[in-house]
Amino acid sequence: MAALQRWTFVLGVLVVVFGGCDSGKNAVDQGGSPSTGGERVRGTVGVSLLTLTNPFFKEISDAMSAEAAKHGYELIVVSGEMDPARQQNQVKDFLVKGVSAIVLTPCDSKSIGPVIQEANRAGIPVFTADIACMAPEAKVVAHVASDNYGGGLEAATAMIEALGGRGKVAIIDHPIVESAMMRTKAFETRIAEENKKPEIDIEIVGKWPGYGDRETSFRVAQDVLQAHPDLNGIFAVNDPSALGVVAALENAGKAGKVKVVGFDGQPEAKQAIKQGKIYASPVQSPGTIGTETMRLIVKYFEGEDVPAEKLIPTRLYRREDAMADPALP
Amino acid sequence: MSRLLSNYGMLAVLLVLAAMFSVLTVDRQAPSGAASGRQLAARLAETLQPDDGVLIVVRPSDEECRFAEALRDALEAGGYRVVDVVSGDPADARRALVRVTDTQQPLAAIACSPTTADWSVFEDLGRRYPGLGDVRLVRPESTRWPNFLKRENLINVANQIAVIAILAIGMTMVIITGGIDLSVGSLIALSAVVTTALVRDVAGANQATALGMVLCSVGGIAACAAVGAFSGVMVTAFRIPPFIVTLAMMLVASGLAYLLSQGQSIHEVPDGFISLGRGQLAGIPNAVLLMVVLYAVAHVVMSQTIIGRYIYAVGGNVEAARLSGVPVKRVVLFVYLVGGELAGLGGVITASQLKAGSPTYGQMYELYVIAAVVVGGTSLSGGEGRILGTLIGALIIAVIQNGMNLIGVESYTQKVILGAVILAAVLLDTLKRRRG
Repeated sequence: MAALQRWTFVLGVLVVVFGGCDSGKNAVDQGGSPSTGGERVRGTVGVSLLTLTNPFFKEISDAMSAEAAKHGYELIVVSGEMDPARQQNQVKDFLVKGVSAIVLTPCDSKSIGPVIQEANRAGIPVFTADIACMAPEAKVVAHVASDNYGGGLEAATAMIEALGGRGKVAIIDHPIVESAMMRTKAFETRIAEENKKPEIDIEIVGKWPGYGDRETSFRVAQDVLQAHPDLNGIFAVNDPSALGVVAALENAGKAGKVKVVGFDGQPEAKQAIKQGKIYASPVQSPGTIGTETMRLIVKYFEGEDVPAEKLIPTRLYRREDAMADPALP
Repeated sequence: MSRLLSNYGMLAVLLVLAAMFSVLTVDRQAPSGAASGRQLAARLAETLQPDDGVLIVVRPSDEECRFAEALRDALEAGGYRVVDVVSGDPADARRALVRVTDTQQPLAAIACSPTTADWSVFEDLGRRYPGLGDVRLVRPESTRWPNFLKRENLINVANQIAVIAILAIGMTMVIITGGIDLSVGSLIALSAVVTTALVRDVAGANQATALGMVLCSVGGIAACAAVGAFSGVMVTAFRIPPFIVTLAMMLVASGLAYLLSQGQSIHEVPDGFISLGRGQLAGIPNAVLLMVVLYAVAHVVMSQTIIGRYIYAVGGNVEAARLSGVPVKRVVLFVYLVGGELAGLGGVITASQLKAGSPTYGQMYELYVIAAVVVGGTSLSGGEGRILGTLIGALIIAVIQNGMNLIGVESYTQKVILGAVILAAVLLDTLKRRRG
């Protein structure tokens, strides 16, 4: 009999755990949509992001939630945490739940294709934010992203400015993700163009993979500094990589001497720009990406024609911007 | 009763979880097949005048198109006029409404599927389309039923866990011998990459034949079997602890997968490649069928055959087993080989389901697999455990993940809850053992 009691107890615990999380969810719903008060819910939007460990995606999802609440939509946000198979399962769960629309930042631009096709067959519209789907057979209503190419050009401009037009530069890149590859390509293109001018002489000594990850970039940057002790600048394709590079420079006692250009505009990176550790970053606006994605969904259900692609321009953020930024301490 | 509970207590946990998610996911269900179309037509007929115009709007899915066809046929048979059938997105619906107002056709009702009725394009019809007159929006009556218990969701749950459950068979055997295999997650990636790379480079990419793809899959599985056998040799011949050997192989396999694929996902495979992962037999996905068959075989092997008994004997007391004439080294080598093969199979299924091979697959899967085995009642110290218990453990993990997605628990909280449940399950088991 004692065994039976113990089972009952643990089952009770499980029920309490889940009961608790469900009421927590309801509280969020009520808190999230005060303006819609008595209005009915227009629909549920399922969102599966690349990862929630990068604040960039958290900002996308927060902005999307705020905009969704304004228009009477409910949001379910989950994250694939870089695992394409897990993301596929999350989308399948959305299909079973019968959501009105799906927003994805694919963990893999190609592997996401089959499950988007499933959504297509069910007639559920799919939108992508930040990272595009590259599977040609899958149909996506619209893609909202930063103008990564334009941002890459801006990054090159900042680097030339930081080095006064001359020096050796390394790139810490992310060779898998399309958006990061565009930045690298744009950076190289502008540097090559500018090098035609007689007063400009920038040599790109090479590209190393940091996979957009702070820790990996930290280790890679240490090796790069060993290999090229006369390096003048490093372009890192996102802020976590740039912060990894800064850590490596600090370790080597070269902080501030080797100019770093990042990409994204996360608060921690902005702080580093203010401290002069990063020279500048083309700043993305994840909030705008989230808001615009949700606006496109609203427009879609209003019956308006939706553009297949919406690019959000980046803006170069330098030290003087950081000094004037009220959000920084 | 209490013997049943102590043997398959986790089954009770699974059932309670299922019952709980059934209650929590009760939701409005949208009936939208042909029957629902006829029913809506009958309801419309009560209020329509002869010759009244009706516009039908559905989404472009098979089920909703059947709904629209049945509705149209029933309405036309009753002598009403179907102005148009829109099967598309809200913009198509708007254009249809504009056409109707432009041509000044009298419209009495817009018949929607349960999903299209919620489109905001149909709000404030009078203000948006002043020329439309007095139009009613009708939709089929919805019923209430748990999302969790829908047939498609239950299959979905089984399908989602199939890969982890298949890997867990091998892991159960390894753990029963007192070992551990941390490399299985990376082997998924290795197998997926080797298989798709072979399809791309050897079997003729998009033109690969079915036989060619099967041979490539065998190649992927063989690569993982080789890694598994290597781990087994290291453990038996050199007495290196399994934890260390398989940790090293986890890194080696993952690195190889990145090397072979150059860090890119390999997607140059024919459309037929998805048939293993997403094909169905009698409505059940192949991956699930494969899982069921493998569990049946493994159950028989572990409970009825000599090798099965040997595996338990090795884990129970290796010295006693050796003295009783059990070929300990061969048994241990065998379980790592099987573990590698099953991980390879899991990689082929994953590649097939995602129609691409990528080195990022399978990250952290070893932990989910070990969790399934442990939740299923297998002791990490070896010698005890049941294959069917592992299946239940895997299903518990699948049900928790699926249920949390369905009720909309956000990602951060999901991890905490999953961890808490795994701990609770094992705690339960430990308490039971200490008492018994």
